[in-house]
Amino acid sequence: MSGPARNGSGPVVWAAIVVVTCLLLLVFQKILWLIVPFMLALIIYYILTPPTQYLVYQGMSRDAAAGWNIGLFLAAIAAAGAFAVPQIGAHLVDLQASTDPYVAGGLRLMQHSLEALERSWSVFAEAHLADMARQKLAASGGTAAEHVEDAMKGIAAWTPSLLLAPFLAFYFLKDGQRFKRFLARAVPNAFFERTLYLMHEVDRTLRAYFIGLMKLTLLDTLTLAAGLWLLGLPNPLALGLISAVLAWIPYVGSIVGGALVVLVAATDFPDQPAVAYSAVLLFIIARLLDDFVYMPMTIGKSLHMHPLVTVLMIFAGGAVAGIPGLMMVLPVLGVVAVCGETIGKVVTDPRLMARHRHARALRRSQASSDLSGT
Amino acid sequence: MGLNPFRRSTTPRLEKLRELSLFVDLSPGELAIVDGLLHERDFLKDEVVFDEGEDGQAIYIVLDGAVLICRQGEPETGLLAVVGAGSFFGDIALLEDLPRTAQARAAENCRLVVFFRDDFLGLMETHGVIASKISLQLARNMGRRLREAAAGSGAVHRHL
Repeated sequence: MSGPARNGSGPVVWAAIVVVTCLLLLVFQKILWLIVPFMLALIIYYILTPPTQYLVYQGMSRDAAAGWNIGLFLAAIAAAGAFAVPQIGAHLVDLQASTDPYVAGGLRLMQHSLEALERSWSVFAEAHLADMARQKLAASGGTAAEHVEDAMKGIAAWTPSLLLAPFLAFYFLKDGQRFKRFLARAVPNAFFERTLYLMHEVDRTLRAYFIGLMKLTLLDTLTLAAGLWLLGLPNPLALGLISAVLAWIPYVGSIVGGALVVLVAATDFPDQPAVAYSAVLLFIIARLLDDFVYMPMTIGKSLHMHPLVTVLMIFAGGAVAGIPGLMMVLPVLGVVAVCGETIGKVVTDPRLMARHRHARALRRSQASSDLSGT
Repeated sequence: MGLNPFRRSTTPRLEKLRELSLFVDLSPGELAIVDGLLHERDFLKDEVVFDEGEDGQAIYIVLDGAVLICRQGEPETGLLAVVGAGSFFGDIALLEDLPRTAQARAAENCRLVVFFRDDFLGLMETHGVIASKISLQLARNMGRRLREAAAGSGAVHRHL
């Protein structure tokens, strides 16, 4: 679709977009306690918008429709939690016993692979690659239970912040349109159509990104689960889902998800390294499918951005704000790009500026019309 | 008692929207959906609503006052039509991504309702019945203009 903001912007506007994106990521990194629930709330908002619209269409007030939808959503989460928590708790009881074999299996696979490399390549043999890796791992120490304890503390610290998400989503559903109109009222008439377009594009970009992310997660989960099931690994759906969610972090998440599955394969099939290598191959295939088929079908369509810019900005996001930067850079860049391009077009349009000056003069004249004789 | 969550409540704004020709076929529920998409703007006499050649992004419906449709910069010599309360203009923009074919200026202080094209297109996907009822009104309006043009009426809208 063409529009007023999509006629191409100059290098100055794009430099400003990149700088503003990086600055926002720096700020967002400092207020993650607010940004994370805000982004989750946006996801909930975009998922629950169609059923809310449906209830409004059926005659319910917007406030009641928002309340019912959030209420049902929380009830579904609570039901899922009630089902999952006892199972997770049972696993945590014998955490040390259940995780250590997987860690040992992964280390064994790495050791075998490095020794195979040393046998094939004299360069690696001379560098004593396997010994070096073994020493490094021994130095890093710590039990799995200790690491999970830290993770549980982190989850406990984040819980109050995450509870903000449904609260925010309720108000997005209830007052989102009123807020949009409130923002639009502040815009002078001369810029109104362009600004409407801008607001629509911001909404469209965020909606397409977050809905695209959900679709991508579903496609990744199904692809990986099917592949892992064919390989004969246990719990293929759960492993596929965990890997797909980890992939929300560009590059790093995919590697961690892949490593997790390879650990499981190496442990459950200790005498069949081919299964672990097949899992690696499966992840490479899933990655290729992700980059060339799923991404263009889902998230890629949302940003209308050159792939080179996207990749460079992902690296810049990681450099500026670490893992949170990697996760946030694409939606933030999408919104800043739309705002930057539109504002660039508006402030450099002499006719719009002239109309704005004319309207201001008319308002001044009207405000003082009965004061001229005094 | 107010226990039924589906009990329809109306507001003065909804009552006013119901009187507009574009929304005359909509049920109260449909009007409530459309109401969430509309913006209200106040224009002073002589203020430009949009220029000829500008990207058309929205349709305007006159709630109060009147709007001149004229050739660019010629509100008197190039007058094409005067749109009064309850009528709408700029409707081609709702259907096609085309530049405006005339200028619109407030003939007097007026209040306009703005319906953005992308919201209308979104409505087509999410609420096809509502969009089709609005489209029917647009088509009726265009048919009326064609009849007026064929009859040589001076009040023909040639736009927008």
